[in-house]
Amino acid sequence: MTFFTVVIRGLIRRPVRTGLTLLGISIGIGAVVTLVGMSWGYEKSIGKQLDVIGIDVVVSNMSGGLMPKVFDDTLKAKVAALPKVADTTTVLMLMLSIEDAPMMMVSGREWGGFTWEKLEVLEGRLPKDDKEFAVVLGKLAAEVLKKKVGDTVQIEADELPVVGIVDGHAVVENGAVILPLSVLQEISSNQGKVNFVDVRVPEGTSDKEVLELCETVNGIFPEGRAKPASEVVGTSQGYRLARAMSWSTSLLAIIVGVLGVMNTMLMTVFERTHEIGILLAVGWKRRRILYMVLCESALLGFLGGVTGVGLGALGLKILELTPAIRGLLEPDLSAKLLVTSVAIAVIVGVISGLYPGWRSSRLSPSRALNL
Amino acid sequence: MSDASNDAGKVVYEARGLKKNYDGGQVAALRGVDFDIREGEFVAIVGPSGCGKSTLLQMLGSLDRPSEGSLSYRGRLISELDDPSDYRSTEIGFVFQSFHLLPTFTVSENVQIPMFETGLSRSQREVRAHELLESVGLAHRLKHFPSELSGGERQRVAIARSLANRPSVLLADEPTGNLDSENAAHVVELLLKLHRELGMTLVLVTHDLGIAALATRTIRMKDGRVVDESTPLTHAS
Repeated sequence: MTFFTVVIRGLIRRPVRTGLTLLGISIGIGAVVTLVGMSWGYEKSIGKQLDVIGIDVVVSNMSGGLMPKVFDDTLKAKVAALPKVADTTTVLMLMLSIEDAPMMMVSGREWGGFTWEKLEVLEGRLPKDDKEFAVVLGKLAAEVLKKKVGDTVQIEADELPVVGIVDGHAVVENGAVILPLSVLQEISSNQGKVNFVDVRVPEGTSDKEVLELCETVNGIFPEGRAKPASEVVGTSQGYRLARAMSWSTSLLAIIVGVLGVMNTMLMTVFERTHEIGILLAVGWKRRRILYMVLCESALLGFLGGVTGVGLGALGLKILELTPAIRGLLEPDLSAKLLVTSVAIAVIVGVISGLYPGWRSSRLSPSRALNL
Repeated sequence: MSDASNDAGKVVYEARGLKKNYDGGQVAALRGVDFDIREGEFVAIVGPSGCGKSTLLQMLGSLDRPSEGSLSYRGRLISELDDPSDYRSTEIGFVFQSFHLLPTFTVSENVQIPMFETGLSRSQREVRAHELLESVGLAHRLKHFPSELSGGERQRVAIARSLANRPSVLLADEPTGNLDSENAAHVVELLLKLHRELGMTLVLVTHDLGIAALATRTIRMKDGRVVDESTPLTHAS
């Protein structure tokens, strides 16, 4: 028998209660994994999209929600004229409900701009020119909308033919409905408006020079922000709000978990007062009693964390397949998230065991034995 | 365990004016108790229920603290020990009337429980538990749980557990109180054997005057006081 045996026996003496506590922690940690996985996944997906397209600097007005506000497309010319700018293109990106899909990214791209470059045509073709009223669908968008080349897609009041299915090599690209900028401006009544100016800088430009360029753009576009691509998502107010919400919901789940484990451990300590009295009577030190209770609650947290991570991973997989999420983001199920979640669960366990452990270690042996 | 035979006659416990009050002084369990217990003695503490015998034993075992007076173990005040758990773990063994075995642990595991504080390895603990259980005639019950044993067997497990860390003093609180006469006789025989063969100091609280008659000395208590100390005729000579 080892000390670990003593810890295990403490937990399995009430298997139903231990099981229910484990379930509670699992659900809490599952919620953490799912919410944070979605939040991190959004950041990762947008980051990958920018990387695939090859955007170095994004100029936008992200002060609103997840989608930035529109502004005049004349800004493009001003940005293009700046030093250290190799190429620029404009995009009007909208989140719209399309047919049965509750939310899809609709991307109107300046004809001839570099945002069209990395689209690999799987079926059909790209629009012929910036005047053609037609769309291409990312391959995930085609699956979600159940459309093929030759079908039509209704955007706002207009029906547009699907002329091609494309692979954009990033989840966000593949989940998008893509069409010429001027067409989207017209059907969404945003003539002359865009919400992104995407910028490429010459090869060999240093990070410092990129930041200087951003500062210069901010000078001529005070209502918006120019950001290096790596910082775009993290500094978006909408994303920060979503991240704060996911963490605050996770925090609530964690607090519920702490209370659940603490309740279980307190019940355990109350029930085992007599046993703890015996342990003290045969010479166990108070710190060993404390350590035993902490180990029990930490183990409860660890087991709950492991099963919670499983539940959360399952939840993310299910969410990934739902039409509302599919194509918008790729949930992040990284080792970092899994390890962080289990670590949170263990910390929850230890914190929850502190008071019951302290209480049990302060028991008077004679009184405990007589209970 | 200390070598008791070399210390024969040395004072192990010295109690002076020992008092214990409960409920803010409304209940006086001990009202000023004085006695000495010497190395290798078998002292029986007898008296009617509620006279303070068990309270006294709990103080000898540092399970409770006196309200007034002093109680020292080998010259050191028990109330001033740096860590009473060290004293409970290595100096004394406790045997209780209701056995106080841990129900979710096997017989062998119950005996190993006190050894966690001694730094023995897992295998050393197992070997030691096996030896102790063999010495009390329960080697065949290692893997059983307390609920699967008779009262006498449980008390023998408790005795084996009390010897786990080779203490020099055995404190027994009504060890035969929950046993039938046959099992009680076996347990008394076992305690006497330990006292005799290992030279242990044995302090035993009992109602049974027959058992008290086997002791080298009897402390008779009444209403929280020592009213008589005597050496039974069997030992007087």
